[in-house]
Amino acid sequence: MSNETATLSQTGDTRKAARIKRETVSTIAIAIICVLLLYLSRFISPALGSWSQVETVLILGSFLVVVAFGQGLVILTGGLDLSIPALITLGGVLSTAAVGAGNPDAWYLLPAALLACGFVGFLSAVGVVWLRVPPFIMTMATSIIVASAALGITKGTPRGYAPEAAVALMKSHILGLPSPIVFVICFVFLGWLLQERSPLGRYLYAIGTNPEASRIAGVPVTAMQIFPYVISAMCAGFAGFMLVGYSSGATLRMGDDYLLPSIAAVVIGGSSILGGQGSFLGTVGGAFLLTILGTMISAIGLEFGLRTIIEGTIILIALLLLREELFNRIRSIRRKA
Amino acid sequence: MLKHKLKLAASAMVIAAAALGATAPAKAQSEDGKYKIYLSLSYSGNAWQSEAANIVKALAATPPYKDSVELIEVISGTDPQAQISAYESMIEDGADGIVSFPISSSALNRTIRRGCDEGVLFFMYDATVTESCAYNVSYLSSGFGENSAQALVNELGGKGKIFLSRGVPGNSVDQRHTDGAMHIFNQYPGIEVVAEYYSYWDDRTTQQETAQALAAHPDVDGIWAQAGEYGAIQALLDAGDRLVPMTGENSAGFRLGLADPAMQEKGLRGVSAGSPPAQSGYAFKLMMEILSGKRELKPMNIEYPLPWVPAADVKLCEGDSYENGCNVFPASRVPSSFVSEVLNTELLPEINVDSALDGTPVEGATIQPLPEAVPEASNLPGINCDDCEAPATLYKLTKVEATVQP
Amino acid sequence: MTDLTQTATGTDAQPPQGRLAGQTFARVLQGGLIIVILYFALYALYFYQQPRALSAGSIAALMNNTVPLALAAAGQTFVIISRGFDLSVASVISVCNVVMAVYPLDGPGGAVMSVLMCVAIGGSVGAVNGFLVAYLRLQSIAATLATMIICQGVALVILNAPGGRVADWLSYELTDQLFKTIPISGLFVLAVVLGWLYLRRTSFGISLYAIGADEHAASLSGINVRKVRFFTFVSAGVLYGLAGFMLSAQTATGNPTSGTPLLLLSFAAVALGGTSLSGGKGSLFASVMGAATLMLLQKVLFSSGVSSFYTGVFQGCVLVIAVVFSGLIEKLGERAAKL
Repeated sequence: MSNETATLSQTGDTRKAARIKRETVSTIAIAIICVLLLYLSRFISPALGSWSQVETVLILGSFLVVVAFGQGLVILTGGLDLSIPALITLGGVLSTAAVGAGNPDAWYLLPAALLACGFVGFLSAVGVVWLRVPPFIMTMATSIIVASAALGITKGTPRGYAPEAAVALMKSHILGLPSPIVFVICFVFLGWLLQERSPLGRYLYAIGTNPEASRIAGVPVTAMQIFPYVISAMCAGFAGFMLVGYSSGATLRMGDDYLLPSIAAVVIGGSSILGGQGSFLGTVGGAFLLTILGTMISAIGLEFGLRTIIEGTIILIALLLLREELFNRIRSIRRKA
Repeated sequence: MLKHKLKLAASAMVIAAAALGATAPAKAQSEDGKYKIYLSLSYSGNAWQSEAANIVKALAATPPYKDSVELIEVISGTDPQAQISAYESMIEDGADGIVSFPISSSALNRTIRRGCDEGVLFFMYDATVTESCAYNVSYLSSGFGENSAQALVNELGGKGKIFLSRGVPGNSVDQRHTDGAMHIFNQYPGIEVVAEYYSYWDDRTTQQETAQALAAHPDVDGIWAQAGEYGAIQALLDAGDRLVPMTGENSAGFRLGLADPAMQEKGLRGVSAGSPPAQSGYAFKLMMEILSGKRELKPMNIEYPLPWVPAADVKLCEGDSYENGCNVFPASRVPSSFVSEVLNTELLPEINVDSALDGTPVEGATIQPLPEAVPEASNLPGINCDDCEAPATLYKLTKVEATVQP
Repeated sequence: MTDLTQTATGTDAQPPQGRLAGQTFARVLQGGLIIVILYFALYALYFYQQPRALSAGSIAALMNNTVPLALAAAGQTFVIISRGFDLSVASVISVCNVVMAVYPLDGPGGAVMSVLMCVAIGGSVGAVNGFLVAYLRLQSIAATLATMIICQGVALVILNAPGGRVADWLSYELTDQLFKTIPISGLFVLAVVLGWLYLRRTSFGISLYAIGADEHAASLSGINVRKVRFFTFVSAGVLYGLAGFMLSAQTATGNPTSGTPLLLLSFAAVALGGTSLSGGKGSLFASVMGAATLMLLQKVLFSSGVSSFYTGVFQGCVLVIAVVFSGLIEKLGERAAKL
């Protein structure tokens, strides 16, 4: 056993040297682009480019960061999770379901909602791992089913109020900072620990790169393939909980705005859609980049079509600046110099 | 292992097929003499849509329609192709009438035309189609955009920075409202639209978009909003605990807020207007009167009156319906997203708040005849008619007068 | 994986006839036989529930409804076989649709010009995608996401709310039937499928499968991977343009977001048809049948009286079951080919 672990960690170390260089560079590049965008937004409106915009971005971006973490883990192992919008809605609906005017909210609401979402994620994973349904299709099917179930249960109108815990999470202040910001900092730290510094994370990278080799090396492949889907589903459910606290209620389209941005954040952050490559900090950078871009775009006084074109172009430019080939070129230039 | 999985999948398929096939095949035309009415929805995931559907269900369950109408609800989603397919299936199935919220003002026309040729009555509510053989029952022509814009301008004294909170991009209802509002705002050089965003008629999206707009323009003076307006109030409270004059639609949260002294103190003033879900009930009753021979009406565009409730006129209801001029239910009775304009004492006396919330008919109620006169809507090219001219008085103000001159 | 072990322990003496039969079986399955069987089974169920289903008008209406998705899925198949994703399908269709509604060209001559216009629009977006993915080495999902957003903006700039009117000749003729029985829209799809069957045997077609299966090996065997990938996206774009053209003929109107529902549906149709989303295998014909099955499923669910709210639950389950089933049959085919 120790032999195999040694082999695994040895392989891991060699990769790590190359990984640190490339992924840290891309994360720093994203951070630079974010700061640049924040500075540029000053030209759009004098109130932008200030701490209040940063605060808004951190709060509004918190939902995307949570969701992109789960999506990132799934993409890391070579899959894709399309069920995120439906699970956000499910999490939101379940969080408010039992809370009514005469019904003080109970402590078990959030864990119950997370458990339900995790179970759905588990079902998706079962389909992908055992029934060999492609992740795209399996999670799409799960999404359709869950959305339809939510529609049927609520009969079109989610009732109920936001649980106190959710409101406290999103609307209060800790140490002078808005609580969502403190939460984001803690979440990013924990997520980074899990993905980049724990054995669990190493297993996920291994599976994404080469499932067969990992199996031979002793990685519990099946469990590790199921894990990301469950986590992604629970993250989406938690994001629903957060959204409910933010807007004091659930709506049936609350998750719709988070699917493509979650994929975009992960891909902009440097992860490969084929798996095995990527970093959570990069994903976080991608999530904030998209949120900053959103605040800038909505402040431009042009018609919606033109604004959409500008948004797409900036995303394209960011992708071009962050692509792997460019890093390799820069690195080879450095080596020559 | 493979064989086992194969067997599993095969048996699952057989069961699914059997389940689908075991349901009764559709009858061509009701043999029991009932009218076959389809309620065709497209999007259905918000309070407005479900309330509109619920009151139709409640009316269909009220005597005498309880015994003479078979009502079938079909939800197609946001894909026009799906609603086209649904309409075709309904026509094939021998529908007598289809009361529907159409997802597109023009994509469904060919199918509707085919249905009309087979004798099906099409009644659209709120959203309209340009096909001339369909009946459109809508408040769209009553000028929500321009009237609410003028009310906002009056509150602001003719100058200030405002946000425009719109609906769904690429949608004709949103476009008509916004065109009407901009027609008014453009007349006042002192009014500046500093942010315009799409809120998808959803509270949460409105809140998020307004929060973003506030980050760029924290000194906004007023907000013109379509549905979802309660989210704008929350965004304002989050950003700085101050409110501004606002016009919006008729969610219970917004209406109660207008009448709430605490919110008024923070600066909330304005008017609650907007889209009434009651249109679906009116459309249904009209259609049934035509089908049962009680009324003769050629296909036309019918105008439903614009609800108009300024802050001073908000009155809390004690009972289950809008009696004594009350126009909003308390927070203990309905959630903040409840769309208030779903009851109408003159046109729909047979339903109450439970009909809107759950679709249950009222005990002991019977269907009352509608007023004789049916108001005609003006032409809105591309919205409720094709090859037609808009009237010269398209943006006429009907609810307010301009108290400030440009 | 298991293939390695199988080859290692496979028998040496194999009856030649059995092997040929097995291989033919496998190839036929790959061509989409399963989905065809599924489609006809579903149609039989539909006919049982709704006797009017086999009338010429019914069939034509169903086909007109299906053709835009079928063409979109056809284009998507190209990209998926080459191991990519193409998200721009939604907005290429929207752009073509609004262009046709805002600049209608009358008569048969106008129809030809309109087709060329749509093909040109789709082809140029495809060229941009191809350039970004093949030459600038962006991930296909990322590049096409960006182009999708940009093209959606273009569609909204051209037409910001539903309106406009597609040329009459086009919308009447293309949704009509030849000799009162054969739907003309179906002939378009037939032409595309025939074109595909020819293309599959050309070097481009073979290279397409090769770069999807193993890009490195393909480039080592002398295939110009970049060029093939570039033209894959162009071909896909051309088909999306055609899809937009047919959608405009059916709805006779413009809508800047008309392509959006077709995004996820195109992937579902491709997967339903049995094409693997990891590239290297698949068939355009199967994707077209997958699209037809999805549209037919709507009809069957309607006639079954499935409760309106829970339609989605059925749709999702059927999707999974059909994909599992077709995957299993394919494995069976592979096993048979080795016997």
